[in-house]
Amino acid sequence: MLEVRDLTTTYGAVRALSEVTFTATPGKVTAVLGANGAGKTTLLRTISGLVRPRAGEVLLDGEAITHAPVESMCRRGVAHVPEGRGVITELTVEENLRLGALGRAQGSEPLDLDRVYTMFPPVADRRRAHAHVLSGGERQMLVIGRALLARPKVLLLDEPSLGLAPRVVAQIFALLRRLVESEGLTVVLVEQNARGALSIADTGVVLNLGRLVVSEKASTLAADEQLRHAYLGF
Amino acid sequence: MQQFLTTTLTGLTLGMVYAAFALALVLIWRSTRIVNFAQAPMAMLTTYVALTLINAGYSYWVGFAAALLSGLLLGAVVERVAIRPVEGKAHINAVILTLGLFIVFHSLGAIIFGSNFRSFPAPFGLRGLQVGGTNIALTGFGIFTIVSVLVVMLLLVALFRYTDLGLMMRASAFNQEVARLLGVRVGRMLTLGWALAAMVGSLSGLLIAGGSLVHPAYMDSVVVFGFVAAVLGGLDSPVGSVVGGLLLGVSLSFVSGYLGSDVVALAALMILMAVLLVRPGGLFSHAAARRV
Repeated sequence: MLEVRDLTTTYGAVRALSEVTFTATPGKVTAVLGANGAGKTTLLRTISGLVRPRAGEVLLDGEAITHAPVESMCRRGVAHVPEGRGVITELTVEENLRLGALGRAQGSEPLDLDRVYTMFPPVADRRRAHAHVLSGGERQMLVIGRALLARPKVLLLDEPSLGLAPRVVAQIFALLRRLVESEGLTVVLVEQNARGALSIADTGVVLNLGRLVVSEKASTLAADEQLRHAYLGF
Repeated sequence: MQQFLTTTLTGLTLGMVYAAFALALVLIWRSTRIVNFAQAPMAMLTTYVALTLINAGYSYWVGFAAALLSGLLLGAVVERVAIRPVEGKAHINAVILTLGLFIVFHSLGAIIFGSNFRSFPAPFGLRGLQVGGTNIALTGFGIFTIVSVLVVMLLLVALFRYTDLGLMMRASAFNQEVARLLGVRVGRMLTLGWALAAMVGSLSGLLIAGGSLVHPAYMDSVVVFGFVAAVLGGLDSPVGSVVGGLLLGVSLSFVSGYLGSDVVALAALMILMAVLLVRPGGLFSHAAARRV
């Protein structure tokens, strides 16, 4: 279980996050929504340690990981797929996947590369190719597959829909939902595409100018017209 | 015909040394985007370590191994102590820093080992081999030079291509943030990269010194040729640096054999200009692939 308590992160004089508190329920998808600059990406980067918070705590299964080194996160069971997909384009598809397996969480069973290839046939067809030849959707599949090879308990996904065609977005979201159900993953999904994210999320939290303003069941959030108009733009 | 063969063989031997030096520059450029101007005096220092041991009565090979090991160590120390604070900062910081290290190591060499010329032994004969009654320009030490650089290059290729450690080093070089998120200790990989590079640089220092004279500035002229070879290969590709070194060695050998040795440095810079005009990314660049 991932808990965030009173997290405050600043960039110089700018407060990117102010006392944000929420819990990502195990085995569920928590969507983090909000406009541009609301602090969504900063939230994920603070959780994984790429940015250090001014105050507050991040707890994984009750243990504080607020100041743990970034490099230790995947071995603790937290996988972070950064914005812009995080494929290492100079490496081959297979090398990207091998890299994911190297950072496997402590005490977890290794996952065969072939299982990832079965989940993502388009990626399997290009395993020897350099990752820069992949399309946007294929890259998204590759990074999700790579994250799975690390056998995470918690998966932090930053805007997987960015720059993808609506049909591909729907595919990726459906796939994500299936994975959550089959693997028991806990997912924190940061999205600009609120409608899509709420369709697969269990819980939704909304950030506005660095503050957490709403925390609701996804279905409630999607149904509340006032909230949607105020913060989500649909 | 005789002269042609001699010139080619001399060029290949010389090219291998440039290749080793270029390889050292490329390894560091790839992982940290820094041109290590201090590579030459670093190799000079480690060659003096070998010379000190050999003069103290140890065998050539003990000195050889000690030089490579001290190269490894020196590279790691330089990265941790001097380079780490400027990594990820403006490029000019690193340029000035490595230029500063160039001067510091130079002076250190002169202070510790003295600035007079001293002869450095070679483990194999320096006379040309006899084939069917005629002398050819390939010496025993020349063969050793070619073989040792080839072996080092193949070992590095194997390391980068086939091992997990090599994969983690490449990931750190290409995308530090993603590598860290995947659990790679990027700092250690960079230290290791500098250590390996300095070791390859030390090898080139030993090969240039073999059977010749050393003094604190004996590596300086190699900087120009090594740098040209590295740029010819695209600065990014280890294989490119070796091909660049060989091309440069052979071309310069022809220039020196047929036009005179006083135009060699000029020719090296003209080759560099010509290649940069035609292929600004170097002969082996993958510039387009990197930008995506």
